Amino acid sequence: MALIQLRKVVKTYTRGGETLRVLDQLDLDMEAGGFYALMGPSGSGKTTLLNLIGGLDRADEGQIVIDGEDIAAMRGPELAEWRAEKVGFVFQGFNLIPVLTAQENVELPLLLTKLSRSQRREHAQTALELVGLGDRRTHRPSQLSGGQEQRVAIARALVSDPMLVLADEPTGDLDRKSADDVLRLLRQLNEQYQKTILMVTHDMAAAQQAKTIVHMDKGRLGSIEQLR
Amino acid sequence: MPPLQLVWRNLLKRKTRFVLTTLSLAIAVFLLCVLQSLVVALNAGVKAAAVNRLIVQSKVSLFVYLPQSYGPKIEQVEGVESVMRWNWFGGYYQDPSNFFAQFACDQEKLRAIYPEIEVIDGAWEDFLTDRKACLVGEATANKYGLRVGDNFPIIGALFPKTDGTTWDFRIAAIYKSTKKNVDDATLFFHYKYLEQALESGEGSGPEGVGIFVVQTAPGADNTEVMSRIDALFEQGPQAVQSTTEAEFQAQFVSMIGNVPLFVSSIGGGVMVAILLAALNTMLMAAREQTRDVGVLKALGFGDAVVGNMLLMQSLAMCLTGGLLGIALAVGSEEPMSKMLGTVFPGYEVTQGTLLTAALVVVGIGFLAGIGPALRARSMSVIAALRRTG
Ligand SMILES: Nc1ncnc2c1ncn2[C@@H]1O[C@H](COP(=O)(O)OP(=O)(O)O)[C@@H](O)[C@H]1O
Ligand SMILES: [Mg+2]
Repeated sequence: MALIQLRKVVKTYTRGGETLRVLDQLDLDMEAGGFYALMGPSGSGKTTLLNLIGGLDRADEGQIVIDGEDIAAMRGPELAEWRAEKVGFVFQGFNLIPVLTAQENVELPLLLTKLSRSQRREHAQTALELVGLGDRRTHRPSQLSGGQEQRVAIARALVSDPMLVLADEPTGDLDRKSADDVLRLLRQLNEQYQKTILMVTHDMAAAQQAKTIVHMDKGRLGSIEQLR
Repeated sequence: MPPLQLVWRNLLKRKTRFVLTTLSLAIAVFLLCVLQSLVVALNAGVKAAAVNRLIVQSKVSLFVYLPQSYGPKIEQVEGVESVMRWNWFGGYYQDPSNFFAQFACDQEKLRAIYPEIEVIDGAWEDFLTDRKACLVGEATANKYGLRVGDNFPIIGALFPKTDGTTWDFRIAAIYKSTKKNVDDATLFFHYKYLEQALESGEGSGPEGVGIFVVQTAPGADNTEVMSRIDALFEQGPQAVQSTTEAEFQAQFVSMIGNVPLFVSSIGGGVMVAILLAALNTMLMAAREQTRDVGVLKALGFGDAVVGNMLLMQSLAMCLTGGLLGIALAVGSEEPMSKMLGTVFPGYEVTQGTLLTAALVVVGIGFLAGIGPALRARSMSVIAALRRTG
């Protein structure tokens, strides 16, 4: 059975009295251990899809079954707990907390676990070292470059050891070199740590790092390319 | 519980704004404490009033004098232990701005009727012996650097000397009051001195007695004694009104207008102003932290926890300012009380005042924070994250 199963998922937005069907009866299966790149024109519903899979937003209709659980049926607090346990997010705009240091940002998800203070510190350090920022622990986001910020965000996404990492245009704001660093890390997460990754991207070079490319247009799935 | 670093660091992130808001909170809370302490001072006399003392005054007004002959008659009334004449002298020392109260009274009765007056320097006996002897409160003595044995010339305003000279007093003793109904600023002197000066034409001014202070006998029913005294003079020549000491003191408080109402209106205005200042700061802080709210929720923090992050910021900010204001009020109690000294005796920052201020501070912290907190609580993750573009 696929790790992620979407069945007849419908998502609509109403704006100015007009109803917009952003996702239209969407079916999609994604396998555990996969690295998926989601591509498509702007406004085609990629972010919406990612948000539904990550439990940040709710579908109007349909089923979203992840690892055997139908998250569309979960209540708010239950869904928040599920997110904390199962999903790591990487955003285009990094979304680090400006007043916290790199270390504290990475520790944040661990505050929701039963780990002790020293365990949290240790885990966060390990995660920061993994992304190559072991020497930037005490830096604030404003003292880091965009590429470094995104690497801290990746450390934050993986520190609680989630099974699924969702990245929405993670390289969209980065230069080529920083983007490559980030992509290398995501690939490492997938290959070395068996994380299932779903990454929205516009960048063909970025998409080439994935194992599978899913094309999307106007709320429907298009072709699926198997790269590796 | 939200991560506490987030509470403090977000507050301190905008240092200038934090300092300005905290200072305005501190000043406002300080003002609230001062206003409340002034009301306490005004009411102190009422609270500390003795139960066995009555005041007999003209029914018309406090400023209408009573005949000298009333004293012996009141003394005959059942339940009356002793009667003392008491006149407002209304003079000043050197300059009219040097204000403190002076009273002419029957000096030999003062000690028994007012046991709260305790001589701390000099001797009661000395005060009783000579006509020009006076008893001066510690605050006034300290203010003008006077000691026992010093001369204390007072210029009569209500009772001017005909030759334009001063009334000469000799300080026989200095007192301190053990209760709030008598302040530590007053000068007491012999009624006889005033009476004889008026008779001889040495001085001029209203004749008659300002008020009679009546001490009731142990076990006597004050209400009955008061109605007996009032009945005695109902047919004139001057109708009187007897009151308890507490009512008499309260009448002074209300003479300045409805002070508590006035003060609560000002206090209310001050509170609304600080609430608005705190609210403004919290609304700005909440807007700046919208993205943080989205991030925390995405990471799995609960809605209530995220809301509390903002509520706690508001409470922390208001408590910081409030405690500073309270500290200012406590620290300034001595100097304030000295400054108000003889004009406004009894200034005291009570525990009740501090508790009220603390409650106000917490209330304002809650009111300023609850709106942003609820908004953060109910905001969806994607709405909060989208704010940043
Ligand atoms: N909260 C919202 N309210 C109304 N319309 C929205 C909202 N979020 C997204 N949309 C609309 O839904 C469509 C798909 O958006 P999105 O999933 O962000 O697209 P993509 O990420 O592929 O560019 C767009 O037309 C967008 O304007
Ligand atoms: Mg998008």
